[in-house]
Amino acid sequence: MPLRSGPLPRMAGHLSFMRSQPKAIGDVRSGQLAVLGLPFEDTSAPFAGQSLAARALRETSVYFGWHANPQFSHPVDIDARQDISTDGLHERLCDLGDIALGSDEAIHAALMTATRQINRAGACALLLGGSDRLSVTVQKALQDCQTVQLGGTSCDARNFHIAPLENGSDTTCKIDTATDLVAFTQWRNSTKPLFVRFDLSVFETSLSALCDRPRLGGCDLDTVTQWLSTLGQHRVSAIMLTGLNPTRPGMGIVKVGQRLMVTALLAFVYARLGFGTTDFDTVSL
Amino acid sequence: MTAAITTSHLPLNQPGFRLFDGPASDVTDVAPGQIGVVGMPSDWTHSSRLGARFGPEALRKATTLLQSKRPQGGSFNPDTGHRTLPAKNWLVDCGDAEITADDVDATTQAIAAMTEALTVAGAIPLALGGDHYNSFPACLGYSRGLAKRAPNARFGYIQIDGHLDFSDRLGAWGSHNHATNARRISELPNVDVSNMVWIGIAGWVDGGDLALIEKQGGRVFSASEVHSLGTVEVVRQALAHAMQGCDELYLSIDIDAMDAGYLPGTGSVVHSGITPRQYYELLDGFAEAPLGGLDIDELSPPLDPSERTEIISAEMLFRILQRFRTTPVTE
Repeated sequence: MPLRSGPLPRMAGHLSFMRSQPKAIGDVRSGQLAVLGLPFEDTSAPFAGQSLAARALRETSVYFGWHANPQFSHPVDIDARQDISTDGLHERLCDLGDIALGSDEAIHAALMTATRQINRAGACALLLGGSDRLSVTVQKALQDCQTVQLGGTSCDARNFHIAPLENGSDTTCKIDTATDLVAFTQWRNSTKPLFVRFDLSVFETSLSALCDRPRLGGCDLDTVTQWLSTLGQHRVSAIMLTGLNPTRPGMGIVKVGQRLMVTALLAFVYARLGFGTTDFDTVSL
Repeated sequence: MTAAITTSHLPLNQPGFRLFDGPASDVTDVAPGQIGVVGMPSDWTHSSRLGARFGPEALRKATTLLQSKRPQGGSFNPDTGHRTLPAKNWLVDCGDAEITADDVDATTQAIAAMTEALTVAGAIPLALGGDHYNSFPACLGYSRGLAKRAPNARFGYIQIDGHLDFSDRLGAWGSHNHATNARRISELPNVDVSNMVWIGIAGWVDGGDLALIEKQGGRVFSASEVHSLGTVEVVRQALAHAMQGCDELYLSIDIDAMDAGYLPGTGSVVHSGITPRQYYELLDGFAEAPLGGLDIDELSPPLDPSERTEIISAEMLFRILQRFRTTPVTE
């Protein structure tokens, strides 16, 4: 008797984030998490390849599509020994596809329109970059928003910055998560929209070489996961992933960067969709 | 007039690499107590990122390279303060099992036949993967061989791994693949799930598989438990659990239990996994256990251009085989 069964199309079909349902932007509803890809290069980046990040992140996320995968029963967090309920995730997570290629003006306009429309619907935009230059457009779309930045270069003193790149310095970043969480609570104004920028450079470079701007003294996965889980319990208007370059010479096949980002992002996805958590914010956007 | 042709007969080395630069021979030539190496260059039962079929060759090359850098005379371990000499005649490389890419049954039986012959002879099979599915045929042959050599003997099982590999089936790959090897091993007649231990499990696991293991008395140490308990305590508890009522230990070393930041050259990377230091300490702890057989799997050289994964994996073998490859100096 042959030991193998017939093939199932697990890896085939429409590539959506965590095998979520494709949806038109007009069908996004309140409380949902709408994924949008930004497959664009930053022409001033030291290496080409950021435009492939959205696809790489979606490909990696498929491994975590438990809710759409009949071969598994249910996930358990082995560290916390806690069952993770995925019931209802499929109804609240959707993938809108990518912003279409076009002129700079057209791309920025489309991103701004899409971000506003998702937020008017009461949903949260999950933006898969790409270049972090587009984050300025998202900030403009979310009028008077507060920005939390994980990694990346510090550019606005009003932002709440977790493990920023030490521009031109080799100073090791000191992170006291407990103290920082208290400071975040004091900083947060729940009457304003909240925007989260999640750059791969938040991670310690030894964990991933797929970032264009490597740094020493970054966070480990547990710290980033803790932050994203906390942020997910707030009413976030948009979260944008940046800094991943899946084609960094010789390292693209390793896929460590996208694995790190998606693993940490799951904490946000589950917290934001309210699996066993409560909203800290009371503001209705 | 034709010039005379002279032929020189230099003492030539055998081309290619053998594990630890050891001698190559057939499984029937391995003596009791020796390590018998079996290559399993197959990744046809892996479900995602391939390349583990190049693992056996990389392990042979890396151990030979590291061996060449170790002193041939006495050596000193600064961690333990022990002096040792290299052992002789401790290992024989029996080459690779015949792999049939489109026939998992044939591959399974070919690997099992080699590890069975070694076990019957009283040798210790060391199987080089390959993806982790190949651990099942390696252990299958060991189980059959043990049943012939010592019909009433039972073995405990320890798997260092980032994943449980305890699924009954996995989608398109059916019942025999790199996610089901531990489940298939648990069905062998001379092992019980209550003597099976997993160490280094990270991230999310299938709730049904975990519940089934623990319901049947298996023990799972997550990567965070290795961090919190410490390697010495994990080794102590793991051996106590696995060896209760058992005569020998089968150890399955999946390199992917190590954090991907250190070890990217494997098909299914994990994060917040255990560190190289912790992995080595675990293997140091198991090195004195009554090993009946072992395998090392999931080294995928094409996935790590830096080649550090091969070196780290070779060091794992140096650690787990330390009591075979060296003899202590009595002072």
